[in-house]
Amino acid sequence: MITFSLNGDSVSFTGDPNTPLLWVIRDEFKLKGSKFGCGAGLCGACTMHLDGSAIKTCVLPVAAAADKAVTTIEGLGNPEALHPLQSAWVEHNVPQCGYCQSGQIMAAAALIAEKPGASGDDIDQAMSGNICRCGCYPRIKAAILSVAGSALGYDATAVEARS
Amino acid sequence: MSNQTLSRRHFLKTSGLIGGGVVVAVALPGCAFQGPHPIEVADSGFVPNAFLQITPDNNVIFYCPSDEMGQGIRTGLATIVGEELDVDPATMLVKAAGSHEDYNNPEFGVQGTGGSNAVRVFYEPLRQVGADTRALLLNAASLELGIPSDQLRTDRGFVIVGDNRYPYGDFVETASTLEMPVASPLKAPSDFQYIGADAPRIDALAKATGTASFGIDADLPGMVYAVVVRPPVAGSKALKYDDSAARVAPGVQAIVPVSSGIAVIAEGYWQANQAAKKLTVVWEENALSAVTSQQVRRDLKTALDADDDTESTHEGDPDKAFAAADMILETDYYAPFLAHAPMEPLNATLHITEDGAELWTGVQFVGAAQGVLERLTGLPRGDIKIHNQFLGGGFGRRATLSHIVEVAEIAMSIDKPVQLLWSREDDLRHGFYRPAAMMKIKATTDEEGRVTAWQARRSGANITAQTMKNALPGVLPSMPTSLLNGLVGVMDYVFDNWAVDGSSVEGLHETYSLPSYRVSHASVDHGLPTTFWRSVGHSYTSFAVESMMDELAEARQIDPVALRLKNLEGKPRMQNVVAQAGKLMADMSVPETHHLGFAAHSSFGTDVAQIAEVSVTNGNIRVHKVTCVVDCGLAVNPDIVRAQLEGAVMFALTATLYGQIDLDGGAVVQSNFHNYPILRMNESPAVDVVIINSDTPPTGIGEPGVPPLAPAVANAVYRATGQRLRDLPLQLT
Repeated sequence: MITFSLNGDSVSFTGDPNTPLLWVIRDEFKLKGSKFGCGAGLCGACTMHLDGSAIKTCVLPVAAAADKAVTTIEGLGNPEALHPLQSAWVEHNVPQCGYCQSGQIMAAAALIAEKPGASGDDIDQAMSGNICRCGCYPRIKAAILSVAGSALGYDATAVEARS
Repeated sequence: MSNQTLSRRHFLKTSGLIGGGVVVAVALPGCAFQGPHPIEVADSGFVPNAFLQITPDNNVIFYCPSDEMGQGIRTGLATIVGEELDVDPATMLVKAAGSHEDYNNPEFGVQGTGGSNAVRVFYEPLRQVGADTRALLLNAASLELGIPSDQLRTDRGFVIVGDNRYPYGDFVETASTLEMPVASPLKAPSDFQYIGADAPRIDALAKATGTASFGIDADLPGMVYAVVVRPPVAGSKALKYDDSAARVAPGVQAIVPVSSGIAVIAEGYWQANQAAKKLTVVWEENALSAVTSQQVRRDLKTALDADDDTESTHEGDPDKAFAAADMILETDYYAPFLAHAPMEPLNATLHITEDGAELWTGVQFVGAAQGVLERLTGLPRGDIKIHNQFLGGGFGRRATLSHIVEVAEIAMSIDKPVQLLWSREDDLRHGFYRPAAMMKIKATTDEEGRVTAWQARRSGANITAQTMKNALPGVLPSMPTSLLNGLVGVMDYVFDNWAVDGSSVEGLHETYSLPSYRVSHASVDHGLPTTFWRSVGHSYTSFAVESMMDELAEARQIDPVALRLKNLEGKPRMQNVVAQAGKLMADMSVPETHHLGFAAHSSFGTDVAQIAEVSVTNGNIRVHKVTCVVDCGLAVNPDIVRAQLEGAVMFALTATLYGQIDLDGGAVVQSNFHNYPILRMNESPAVDVVIINSDTPPTGIGEPGVPPLAPAVANAVYRATGQRLRDLPLQLT
């Protein structure tokens, strides 16, 4: 039996320990916000936090989460209590089809937690593991910069546009 | 509920809908529905045959007839209906419509979303729905308040009398007893409050919180999961298979042959996925089995060089003009097969019971999906309910029915709800593709750069016959298979011998005013399934046409923008777009190592010009910025128009720099994002969008941003390197 923390609650899984964490979260614990995109750790649609770090869960055996803390998009914020990045996503009208956005936001949230004043280059580097087929990149970047900028006390989007 | 009938084209009905209130359905021209009214009762609530529902507590629900795949259509159509209803679209609850004729796309005659037409074709009808409903509510208010309706006005969901504000919901009871007004006057565009204004996307919050529901998120009690092992070569059948190891793998419930391969059904997706790897199958060989990408390219070129193609259209006498020309350019351009690769792999969840069938999926062709289920299950159409979810990308891929047919065959073999899920490998290797295209353009101009003769020829597979092969069983559910096959055969024969499939050659001449031209086509089909891919034929024809325009400009030593303007007389809208973009380009100052490329293209009624700012370092092409100028008529939501252009640039840049589906032994080589790369954030350009101010009716916006990008980049690369790249994806030697 594998026990881990899921969005703050202790949960256990008794199935095949090689099952990727993504499928355990989606099918066993019924949290559907994290998505399946490639099954090979190439697109980032399945990104969650494992002990605070962004990780691609479509290739991570659930056994690797044992005794660790897993956070999904549902644990990051919800429509009534948004994470600042989620508010920024709405303000910038970021999503198109929306399928990759949970993963994008989780990757961005790990970056912002580590580097609250992340630069444009930091963002490019941290976000290049997440594919958006609709091509929302300019808005994703602007949304993250707006949050990074508030941490620094200025409008980082405008600064970035000038650089 | 299910026995209520509709006898009028415009009808009004009260019902026991959840929330109650007035339900208004206005059948659109050409799709008036007669007969039993199959209101769907689903556990998520009722899905009525209606566009609007107003509850007594003044909630306005809009049932959106078009499928949301990221293009912002739920927001766009809610804005259109809300404008005339006088309700802020941001306060509406917008839901996907169920499957019903009243939601048919007026241009397709079947319920579906594509061709960038939704805003254009629903613009007038949905304004009328909003206006008539508002007039009805005013009539009801007039009766209840004892005040003539011309002394009442409305404001954001309220009827206003002096200082008093009465919610619309107060009048729905009375409204339900009144006759529906028709042809109520529409607002003048100068009175618009919502149309033409930036507004938040209605689905942004759900999509930023992981709460938006996609097909893959369907989860029914007792549901099992299926994957399908498909042949490496499209259309090949299993000669034999050994499932002894797969059958005893953990969680496996059944292994059943289906028309596209062998389905493995298990308790969990992961179990099905693992068990499928233990299956060994011997597949037959077919005509595609020996085909390679190199052969496709060779065959397409041979077909054009043979010079016996079928004429599509012509104007004037190009041969005569060529005979008199002092300079002729004749050049081949090539574009490969491409996959759509939407982020959400295809999936469908189907539950068949004695009472009917319910499908949860993402499909651009709801009407045909319902039809194909009718055909395969034998259930009456009214007992088949489609819960179309948010689509995790469409781009044309979800206009095919492959996932619907598969899930039906699987679900009929097992007495449980089943979710079919494709892997990314399935998606890239077993898709319907943008066909490869070889184009030969022969052109000449006078000394000032006016084109005097133009000949454009294309070879490759046709899209329409192939797509029809896939769609017709759903569009015509009652037609026997033998007749259907005959119909498709006739279509193939016609396109091979007599007529040209418009999708194959669209965009080869239409952007410009050409005094003499001929467009023709040679059909070459190796058997790889093809279908619409965002911007369809325009996705490759623009590359040939707009590269040639720059080549002609160079041959005549004329500025490329000036040359284009000389060939746009009589096309004032595009002339203006090109002139505006040309001005922007002339004023751009870029670093010495950066170079600008220009292209323009008309598609789906919309005119777009793009300027690509490009640098080349050690053979690597980097696009720094793309400036777009677009005239799409009235921009219903300008911010969504900008988003569509931004997204189209990224989508097209992936194709321009990387996109290539190769065949080896008839099998698709690419399998996942490591060898079918998609543009990532660190490679993505800045995008500026200039929307031409217009009050003419809206035209398409989902696709028209794609075509100009590849030639704009190629033209910039030429300026940077002196290399004229005529093959996509662009690769420097």
